[in-house]
Amino acid sequence: MDFAPVLDGFGVVLEPTNLLYCLIGVVIGMLVGVLPGLGPAATIAILLPITFGIEPVTAIIMLAGIFYGAQYGGTITSVLLRLPGEASSVVTVFDGFALARQGKAGTALGIAAIGSFIGGTVSIIALTLVAPFVAGFALDFGPPEYTALALLGILLVATVGGGSRTKAVVAACIGLLLATIGRDTFTGVERFTFHNLNLGDGLDFVPIAMGLFGLGEILYNLEERHNAVKAPSSVANVWPSRKDLRQSAGAIGRGSVLGFILGILPGGGATIASLVAYAVEKRRAKNPERFGKGAVEGVAAPETANNAAATSSFIPLLTLGIPANATMAVIYGALLIQGVSVGPRLVHDEPELFWGVVNSMYIGNILLLIMSIPLVGLFVKILRVRPAILAPITVLITLVGVYTVNNSVFDIGLVIVFGAVGYLMKKLGFEPGPLVLAFVLGSLLEDSLRRSLLIFDGDPSGFFTRPISGTLLLIFVLVVLLPIISSVIRGRRASGRETVPSDTTTKELV
Amino acid sequence: MISAPGGAHVPGSSGGHPAAGATPPAGAQPHGSTAAPVSPIDEIPLEELSLEEAIHRVEELEHEGRPPLAGTLSNILTAVAVVVLGVGTLIGSAELGIGTASKPGPGTWPMLVSIVTILLGVGLLVVARRSHDGERFAKASGLVLVGLVTMIVFVVALPIIGFEIPAALLCLVWLRFLGREGWRLSIILSLALVAAFYLIFVGALSVPIPHLF
Amino acid sequence: MTVLVGFLPTPEGEAAFAAGLTEAQRRGEDLLLLNSARGGAPVSADVAPPELVADLSARAEAAGVRLETHQEPHTGELADEVVRVAEKVDASVIVIGLRRRSPVGKLLMGSTEQRILLDADRPVLAVKP
Repeated sequence: MDFAPVLDGFGVVLEPTNLLYCLIGVVIGMLVGVLPGLGPAATIAILLPITFGIEPVTAIIMLAGIFYGAQYGGTITSVLLRLPGEASSVVTVFDGFALARQGKAGTALGIAAIGSFIGGTVSIIALTLVAPFVAGFALDFGPPEYTALALLGILLVATVGGGSRTKAVVAACIGLLLATIGRDTFTGVERFTFHNLNLGDGLDFVPIAMGLFGLGEILYNLEERHNAVKAPSSVANVWPSRKDLRQSAGAIGRGSVLGFILGILPGGGATIASLVAYAVEKRRAKNPERFGKGAVEGVAAPETANNAAATSSFIPLLTLGIPANATMAVIYGALLIQGVSVGPRLVHDEPELFWGVVNSMYIGNILLLIMSIPLVGLFVKILRVRPAILAPITVLITLVGVYTVNNSVFDIGLVIVFGAVGYLMKKLGFEPGPLVLAFVLGSLLEDSLRRSLLIFDGDPSGFFTRPISGTLLLIFVLVVLLPIISSVIRGRRASGRETVPSDTTTKELV
Repeated sequence: MISAPGGAHVPGSSGGHPAAGATPPAGAQPHGSTAAPVSPIDEIPLEELSLEEAIHRVEELEHEGRPPLAGTLSNILTAVAVVVLGVGTLIGSAELGIGTASKPGPGTWPMLVSIVTILLGVGLLVVARRSHDGERFAKASGLVLVGLVTMIVFVVALPIIGFEIPAALLCLVWLRFLGREGWRLSIILSLALVAAFYLIFVGALSVPIPHLF
Repeated sequence: MTVLVGFLPTPEGEAAFAAGLTEAQRRGEDLLLLNSARGGAPVSADVAPPELVADLSARAEAAGVRLETHQEPHTGELADEVVRVAEKVDASVIVIGLRRRSPVGKLLMGSTEQRILLDADRPVLAVKP
């Protein structure tokens, strides 16, 4: 493997501007992870206007920092307040809060920081080795392969989120339809523009992302009634003991590997990785009863896994041009705006960008580790700020920020419309993530589909005769049929049991 | 507080949310006299629950302060809305020209997506009685409406009188009425925020946003 | 009848508690400790941590006074909450601690104590640390 571009990447990272933006990203990320309300996807969306004025490398370095910084930030509230700041920190609550109750909050946070660092670093090293290989493999992809890949990616993200699968796929369909608005690239015909000049060029990604994730989230949170308020907690012992470290070593190792693998799969990601890592650790422990009562492995495993997964979820985006989750979709959008052509060619055409971003993650993880302990006290202080005060600030930043993109008041109107849409979607159980993902992939998907049909001269069976697209489509079909098959099996098992009289009522799992 | 998808998926099971109103407030204070009774489930310490149940409990805390879950009628209406959307776009695609498989037209792709949407909408209709993921519109939803109205007023008034006054009004409403902060804090903070935005966006960044002053 | 103490984990709050305890002893009444933080944020410096509450309970017990603690968060002004709770439990007296406020401070941040003094419809005992 040619290591020259990798080393050049370090040169890019060590430029002062990039270092600065990496730091900014990581701090904002931790902040966002700590604060209830906004998540990394929403924050990245709201900060998209800033990415216009800076280099693509710098922008992505910052956005990436926000993403994996938020994974750690969520841990802080999990441990100290028993409130997960991010979905990937839910499992950390169990042992993390137990440790805090025993006065060992610092141990929990320290182990989480170390685990996050190691998990992230292992993941980056693996990424460095795997990514060019995948990109090289994908260079042979033609339109049929892209069609299949895009379809599979959208489906996986839709199916593996929380909530109803059907609704997530509906969200994706809406995203695809939104992508058709504007001029058709093949025929030049205007589609769904209702003769509005502003829609002629299609919908801009930025207002959609900012509205759906940013404003939508804020509006949704308005309905939240007050929960109990806690007294500020102090973090006393700030570093885990050597015994704790030795105990967690295995968990960290396993968590890194698990996290890396689960992060690559579209729809997988940090949340699943943390769950699986925790479950695995508990199962293979000699005395599993310790879990939930303050076992350090119960913190080390999920925290390592979620950072590893957050890092490896960049792989599909940077090597294939397929975002693996909602946050990656927003970053994909950021790259598109900058005019970067995302896809397998990225590694070869823009090695500075690729390796700059990848190597920045090493630095970012080091920064996370260094800053996590001293900044914890500060972050807990920030938790005292009432969301009611932060809300209008964020709203204004979004409304004014979207204006700066195109100097267009229409965009402000758009962001408000999508804010309302985002609110309704969250309210009614539709995930906004698949919509954004489908929107960014929509044009790619349609283009590839039409090109493929032209190649096959209208014969769709052509998709299956090509090995790669055939395999991908097969997986697609399996994923679609899987829930139907499993519910049929469950139905048959239940009817078999009905012959045995029973007084217990079983909770119906939908 | 979790802003990512609310249901963390445990491999091998699909999580459903409990029925509306089944969860009394958790997180009891040790010396507090709480108004609501604590249910027996909450008294089982976290570590003795299975992993699935423990995750559910943490997520229930998330949804504690939120309106109750939606009923069948809302689910049906949602499903119907999806179907209507699909039909609408289907008609639109037909007008654009569906083309054939070998010669796809501008309407081909939207038509395919519309058909899938309609099918899914019908699917939602079928399971409307059993789904647990929407929420009811409660009194608190009025706050959302107010929030939206402030934004609409902002964008409408912006080109006419500049951003300062609409922004200050928006902040005031959000702080005082939506956030229940005191008058003093609301007014001072609104003015301070607009001043800050002016300095940053108009002063430092020279953004050509319509402004009065 | 109850003695209501408006409590914060500050020297003023401590003074209010001490005075309230004495009052409750003198009157032979129960003591209600109202420690309500502004709702919304997950953490607030106004909330008395569990150890402090335990300490206060022990002191009340030692003095032979029955102590009840309310720590639910409130929306809106603290002064309104104090007056509201006083009415709900029909307190015989409200005990609060006074902060030294400069005129500018009062202008910018208001005075909860002043509001309570003016709005309450029952006796108010204001003490200084």
